[in-house]
Amino acid sequence: MNDRRALPAPPPVAGRVLDAGLDLLDRQILDPDGVPVSTVDDLELTTPDDPAHLDPEHPPVISALLTGPILLTRVFGGRLPDSRFIRIPWKVVTDPGVVLSVGVHADSLDASWTERWMRDHVIARIPGGRHDPE
Amino acid sequence: MKALFAVALGVLTAIGGFVDIGDLVTSSVVGSRFGLTLTWVVIVGVIGICLFAQMSGRVAAVSGRATFEIIRERLGARMALANLSASFLINLLTLAAEVGGIALAMQLASSISPDLWFPVAAFAVWLVVWRVKFSILENVTGMLGLALVVFAVALFALHPDWMSLGSQVLLQPSPHTDESSATYWYYAIALFGAAMTPYEVFFFSSGAIEEKWKPKDLTQSRINVLVGFPLGGLLTLSIAACAAVVLLPKGIAVQSLFETALPVAQALGKIGLIVAILGFVAATFGAALEVTLSSGYTLAQFFGWPWGKFRKPASASRFHVVMIVSLLAALGILFTGVDPVQVTEFSVVFSAIALPLTYLPILIVANDPKYMGDKANGKVTNFFGLIYLGVILVASVAAIPLMIVTGAGA
Amino acid sequence: MILSDLLGRPVLDDAGRRLGQVVDARFVLDGPPDGSLAAARLHGLVVSPHAHSSFDGYERTGVDAPALIARFLRWRARGSFLVLWGDLESIGDQVRLREGATLYSPRLSESEV
Repeated sequence: MNDRRALPAPPPVAGRVLDAGLDLLDRQILDPDGVPVSTVDDLELTTPDDPAHLDPEHPPVISALLTGPILLTRVFGGRLPDSRFIRIPWKVVTDPGVVLSVGVHADSLDASWTERWMRDHVIARIPGGRHDPE
Repeated sequence: MKALFAVALGVLTAIGGFVDIGDLVTSSVVGSRFGLTLTWVVIVGVIGICLFAQMSGRVAAVSGRATFEIIRERLGARMALANLSASFLINLLTLAAEVGGIALAMQLASSISPDLWFPVAAFAVWLVVWRVKFSILENVTGMLGLALVVFAVALFALHPDWMSLGSQVLLQPSPHTDESSATYWYYAIALFGAAMTPYEVFFFSSGAIEEKWKPKDLTQSRINVLVGFPLGGLLTLSIAACAAVVLLPKGIAVQSLFETALPVAQALGKIGLIVAILGFVAATFGAALEVTLSSGYTLAQFFGWPWGKFRKPASASRFHVVMIVSLLAALGILFTGVDPVQVTEFSVVFSAIALPLTYLPILIVANDPKYMGDKANGKVTNFFGLIYLGVILVASVAAIPLMIVTGAGA
Repeated sequence: MILSDLLGRPVLDDAGRRLGQVVDARFVLDGPPDGSLAAARLHGLVVSPHAHSSFDGYERTGVDAPALIARFLRWRARGSFLVLWGDLESIGDQVRLREGATLYSPRLSESEV
């Protein structure tokens, strides 16, 4: 039952290999202090100029990690408008390991908006919210 | 004392699985109707939870990832979402039951109506989750919950017929019963499901990260598991045995914590009763803390939010908001007037879904060298892990039909 | 476009025969630098004739345990292959391959396993 043994090995590549479903999707993103930012809910890729006649010289490239409401459309179907995407640009990713590390602080990313909102409008209003537990 | 505190996480986790309000009453019910003939289920359950808690603790210590984070990474968003929904409902129902259980235990102590205790209990649970350090939380409730050892003491003080108890353990099903075998198996699954409830591994693995366990702490993790869960199992069996000795011969039906405590009152008098009530309050409070924190852990870990009691609330805002909302929702459920213990019957249904979706990814990740380095599962662990996965699947498939057929064990 | 636009799409060869569906996308970091890492270009698509999704990639990594689960998942993913970007003719509601496209083994040759 091992069909794959009959298939040839692909030509070797000179760079790190990442399978989206295995290594990127649903992974945790941490900032340089180890603070969780979000999970990777989807990936944004550059769109080919002509999807009906693909150019072998110009494959799509990952432009950003996506998070937030896009999870719902990924699981249940439908299409979120581009303007509603919450993006973490690929250029801030520093290490795609078991967790994805980014080089900027969580607070400075769009993705942490709900966390900051909850902090400022709910938690900060309850006494003791800003103190370490004792 | 320090040695005792070192196993506090294991003890507290076990409290939620073996002597929370649902188990306190169920163990007593089982003892009063089936004697000790369901002992084998408790033993099977203890081995199962030890196996998987050990795995999830090891995964947490070696890879730094808590169980629900792994569930999403390995099962994908869709299945993890199914697990999350089921787990969240289990947590909510169980939380309502535990807060209610605290109130019922306080009623035993004070004769004040439980309705008045509900908001007090919920507020107290929230206050501890909000302000108290994780290590203090687990040490205090874990140790106080051990007051339930009084049931074992009472058992000896009752001078039971040990031969008869022993024969019950070995004889299946109980010979002196007018119970149907469907009811027997319903309670078998209920006890097994309670011993292996997913929130125990969510709590244990997240607790391992709260305690900042690293690979050098693997031995401590193992000791926590091997001390905590068998102890929990022994407490369950003590309660069942006391009921078997005192309630079964007289045909007394267990309807509340009062009947559960009866054997202790009979054997050890007022002092025994006070210790038992202290144990009830501590155990239900500990279970409430465990379930509240689990709700926060599972949601935060699924969505990738910052979480943990090691962060101040302002640094884990959504985590704390989820827990506050859960407590309020639990209060809402209690104020509809439902019997808190009956509520736990229904969480068995959702457990049926959550059990396999929780334990399969743990088994898979514990084998993955990318997470575990050289500390991946050995063949023996995998062998038992696969067997238990099979048992879990059978239990989860049979749970709902049995519940319907027996009217939830009536 | 987003990754979910590709996952789950049916894959047809140049004659219109259905070969399976897209279960994963392989990226290689060998482009020009984009921030700290190289740009991640789409190297190819992993296609499976039977399964609708790849559960944990057992058919690609070398992880062998637990034995029963590994065997079942490999069986479920039997016949999976990798097709390179250069062999894709078009994407959209379906993915069509070029004439003479090569089907490669999807195995990852990683040294850590």
